[in-house]
Amino acid sequence: MNWDWEKLQKQQQGRPGGKPPSFDDFQDQLEKFKQFKLPGWKLILPVLILLWAASGFYIVEPDEVGVVQQFGEFNRITTAGPNYHIPYPVESVLTPKVTQIRRIEFGFRSSGRARVQNFQQGVSREVPEEALMLTGDENIVSVQFIVQYMIKDAKDYLFNVYDPSGTIVHAGEAAMREVIGNGKIDDALTTGKQEIQVQTRDLMQKILDSYQTGISIVAVQMQNVHPPEQVVDAFKDVASAREDKSRFINEAEAYQRDILPKARGEASRVINGAQAYKEAKVRKAEGDASHFLAVLKEYEKAKDITRERLYLEAMEGILQNPEVEKLIMSDNALKQSVPYLPLGQLPRSGATATPKATK
Amino acid sequence: MKKSTVTLIVLVILGTIVLTQSAFTVDQTEKAIVIQLGRPVGERALGPGLHFKLPLVQNVVYFDARILDFDAKPEEITTTDKKYMNVDSYSKWRIVDPLTFYTKVRTIQGAQARLDDIVRSQLRVALGRYTLIEVVSHKRQEIMDAVSSRSRELLEPYGIEVIDVRIKRTDLPAENARAIFGRMKAERERQAKQYRSEGREASAKIIATADKERAIILADAAKQAEIIRGEGDAQATKVYADALGRSPEFYAFTRSLEAYRKGFGKNARFILTPKSPFLKYMQ
Repeated sequence: MNWDWEKLQKQQQGRPGGKPPSFDDFQDQLEKFKQFKLPGWKLILPVLILLWAASGFYIVEPDEVGVVQQFGEFNRITTAGPNYHIPYPVESVLTPKVTQIRRIEFGFRSSGRARVQNFQQGVSREVPEEALMLTGDENIVSVQFIVQYMIKDAKDYLFNVYDPSGTIVHAGEAAMREVIGNGKIDDALTTGKQEIQVQTRDLMQKILDSYQTGISIVAVQMQNVHPPEQVVDAFKDVASAREDKSRFINEAEAYQRDILPKARGEASRVINGAQAYKEAKVRKAEGDASHFLAVLKEYEKAKDITRERLYLEAMEGILQNPEVEKLIMSDNALKQSVPYLPLGQLPRSGATATPKATK
Repeated sequence: MKKSTVTLIVLVILGTIVLTQSAFTVDQTEKAIVIQLGRPVGERALGPGLHFKLPLVQNVVYFDARILDFDAKPEEITTTDKKYMNVDSYSKWRIVDPLTFYTKVRTIQGAQARLDDIVRSQLRVALGRYTLIEVVSHKRQEIMDAVSSRSRELLEPYGIEVIDVRIKRTDLPAENARAIFGRMKAERERQAKQYRSEGREASAKIIATADKERAIILADAAKQAEIIRGEGDAQATKVYADALGRSPEFYAFTRSLEAYRKGFGKNARFILTPKSPFLKYMQ
């Protein structure tokens, strides 16, 4: 009958919390064993003891540690590989994954799933009551961020804190709000992100260490930081105003770059024109001078005759023109005639004095 | 079946009953006290491990030895500058003296009720001394330290250790938030205007400078051009003077002849007398 009790114990141990065998089953088993009789418990007992002892073997994966409790009390930490503990009910083992980096979302939920999860790309949904926070200059900013953490001390993690991941959520919210509350809105929106991330991580670590949670904060990463929806247009307008500013300046510089080379070109044209004028003028003078000097040289050789020739050629040239009126009068006739100046015809005939005649 | 076997079985069953009734384990996460007929046994709570008690007359009460949460409801608090804010805090606490804890508050719910009373009033007292912006920014740590240590003192008699009281969220009531949004908007609009007018200012400056430079370049060019032309005229004049100076009389003669040739075109009327040298041979 002894083996019956052993068997029962074994069954209960095999499936703790399971349905205990019904009375009928028990009765059946009893009947069976009664018929069986031999080889008897002398053989079965050692086998059962062996099986019980064998249940103490366990394997710790590379990303885990084994935490062994003896009668509930923490006893030892075992490392990766096959290990052994005294079987139930003396010792039990827990194998938390200590190298796994876990992730908690703040201010948003990706794909509407639980906030504690492994990384997953996808649509996210904002949770404004978590995301909105006050800044030190009394503005409101919406900050979405994630916290990555891992277990640095399995014993503390398992036994010290009632709800480790809830504690991280608390610490994360408190820390980020404290850091954002110490800064200005522009720091959060623009250049101060790195600094905020580092400060928040350090503060979270400090808080969690003070609770001895055994958790190490790997990183705090700000995801989407933006002004609250109610004022986002005004913020966007500032950005486009900044763009406008540089656009105005660029346009002015374009104008500048357009007109100045043109002006320099024009200047060069004017100066070159003047130089051309100068050179032409000088060369003309030199030409004229050479001409004059050449003629003069010959003139000086036969002054009178040349003079006469030149004079006659000139007069000939003038009087040759058929449109020039010619009138020959004797001195006396000229003296007797009343000089009559046809004033009405003056503009037409021009000044018709007789400078030549007096010569 | 032999009689001795039956005796053995009975002994084993009895032994098991006694053992399960008297031996008990306390988990690493727990503390326990043993109660004998309603009265706690022993001075100190039991830590983790295997323990024994008397069957039937003694029973075990377990307590969570871990750090526990108390997440308070957000509460509207008035700051010293008469502003309202919703403060959401949490407390971390631990049962340090299970015997006292058992006699005074008994359960975790009971403890949380005490925590709620004490932390809430401490927060009110502490936050009432500061302005809103101090609470939000640089005085936050100081406030939390004050609330934590005062709550710790007040809860010690209950066997509770308050580890930390921390302000989680500080939000503004909706109407204050609206006012802030309005101000933020106005600030940004001002900034946007400033950027645009700065842009226009810079642009106008650049254009004006460019126009000025262009005018200077052109004027410079005109000036230089005049100088060059003057030089040309001067040189030409000198060349003429040098050459013509050799015989001013001949120059005057030839130049006059040329001028006559050009000057007397059509419509000129010549009255020539026989005395004119041109008609010298007609007499």
